[in-house]
Amino acid sequence: MATLTGRRPDTQRLILTVSLVALALLWLVPVVWVLVTSLKLSENIVRLPPEWIPWPATGSHYYEVLFSSSRTARIGRAFLNSLVVSIGTVILVVTTSALAAYPLARMRFPGRDLVFVVLVGSLMIPNAVVLVPQYVLTQRLGWLSTYQGLIVPEAAMTFAFGVFLLRQFFVTMPRELEDAALIDGANAWQVFWRIVLPLSQPVLAALAIFAFRSAWNDFLWPLIAVNRPEMFPLPVALALLRSAYAAESYGPIMAGAILSAIPLLVVFIVANRRIVEGVRLSGLKG
Amino acid sequence: MSGALGRRRRRQARTAYLFLAPGLLLFAAFRLYPLLEGLRLSFTNARLGRATEQFVGFANYTRLTEDSRFQVSLTNTAFYALASTLPVLVIPLLLALALNRGALRNTLRSVFFFPFTLSVVTVGLAWLWLLDPVVGPFNYYLRRLGAPAHSWLAEPQTAMWAIIVTTVWWVTGYYLVIYLAGLQDIPRDLYEAAALDGAGGWRSFWAITLPLLRPVLLFVMVTHVIGSFQLFGQVFVLTGGGPGDATRTVVQHLYETAFQNFFQFGAASAMAWVLFAVVLGFSVLQFRLLRGHTEY
Repeated sequence: MATLTGRRPDTQRLILTVSLVALALLWLVPVVWVLVTSLKLSENIVRLPPEWIPWPATGSHYYEVLFSSSRTARIGRAFLNSLVVSIGTVILVVTTSALAAYPLARMRFPGRDLVFVVLVGSLMIPNAVVLVPQYVLTQRLGWLSTYQGLIVPEAAMTFAFGVFLLRQFFVTMPRELEDAALIDGANAWQVFWRIVLPLSQPVLAALAIFAFRSAWNDFLWPLIAVNRPEMFPLPVALALLRSAYAAESYGPIMAGAILSAIPLLVVFIVANRRIVEGVRLSGLKG
Repeated sequence: MSGALGRRRRRQARTAYLFLAPGLLLFAAFRLYPLLEGLRLSFTNARLGRATEQFVGFANYTRLTEDSRFQVSLTNTAFYALASTLPVLVIPLLLALALNRGALRNTLRSVFFFPFTLSVVTVGLAWLWLLDPVVGPFNYYLRRLGAPAHSWLAEPQTAMWAIIVTTVWWVTGYYLVIYLAGLQDIPRDLYEAAALDGAGGWRSFWAITLPLLRPVLLFVMVTHVIGSFQLFGQVFVLTGGGPGDATRTVVQHLYETAFQNFFQFGAASAMAWVLFAVVLGFSVLQFRLLRGHTEY
């Protein structure tokens, strides 16, 4: 490349980096705009030219969506609902996927390949295809507008991917430790619990984050499965918050949007490497 | 001896099924059963609350061929899938190639990835505000540059494109991470050998990078197309399917048929299976097109 343009590679690299930084800053503009709006006084929000520094700043929009007026009091509650549903989904997905992936990676039994093929094949099923019967089933169980009505279908959506991800990891793990434990008289459960799981922490964390993200952000299923406002998770509450306000009341809406982004931002900062690793595994082995 | 072995096999099989049981129960009840039940429903006139449902043969499917709104939805969805595939394939790839050469690789990767952690509703609300026809910053700066302002989301020619731009912004970081991982799996010495043979950057991109990235490109394409045919959240927040039916999608039509318009479960299930067939068709087509040998 350097010879083509006639520049020294160092200069070229510098130009490339500077333009990438500029592009990255541009990429953040929508998020910055939401944040800035959420901190502005209501009368300053729609002013032109757009003001990029929220001064004087206010936390009143956050206070409003979290605690005050009746129509928005739901965002605070929705936040809790989303936490319960997402954590519940993570626990259910990680447990069932790990349990199922282990025999698929390590044991011999009739039907093993069939089970695996069906699970992997199911990754091609669009969620929208099972929507109606899933609703009928949830309704018959009396689970509409309940936490289990969100957690269990949400977990079922991610289960096959979890099995796929974990099996892939278990297969590449060295067998020696497990074999030694089996010779010492440990049973399959003990090997799984004391050896396999502790050695799999990175991939379990990657799956947990993946499951948390998809449960936290899912919109279509809770839109259908919940009809009591106090049970709405965040995305549904936010979408409906928008129609509750006049178009110009961007302050509270943007405060709600920022609140909804915080948990995953925290996870993202704390566990950046896990996330990248999880995406990497999901992509390349697919 | 063989008896003991057989007993051990059987014991292992029992253990295996015990491990599998909770997950398979979950999967069977909430994935497999709904899939097949949906197929059955699509041949009935089922509705919410209707006590008895009757077998109606292919009536739901034939009605779809007369349902002009369904056809518009299908066309819109296919347009979205086709029009967004190229940017979703190319933009993250270019970014990945650039990030792989420049400094600050991991920091920049995180910045581009960040939007992907947001929910579709949050993303939609942010862009709704950015693109606001009167007080949104995007139109303001356009006017300052002397370009005409538009109600991007309210004009039939631009609404779907605004949704595509929003989506590209949202998912680019995800595919970027996948491409970067793919690029790192390409052995360095291939490039060194190519450079020794006098191949420039461009040559080695076409001769080495692109062919070896083929599985990654295939993954990105299939994932994106499966996702595209389920387009719903962006449309729900940004346009509600309008203006007119210009951005109405299959899943939106299905959602409204099943849950807002007399709960026509039979008709909606037929739509679901048509959608499924289209998605499968596209996936198979892409596998055919892009599958090939990638040997080092």
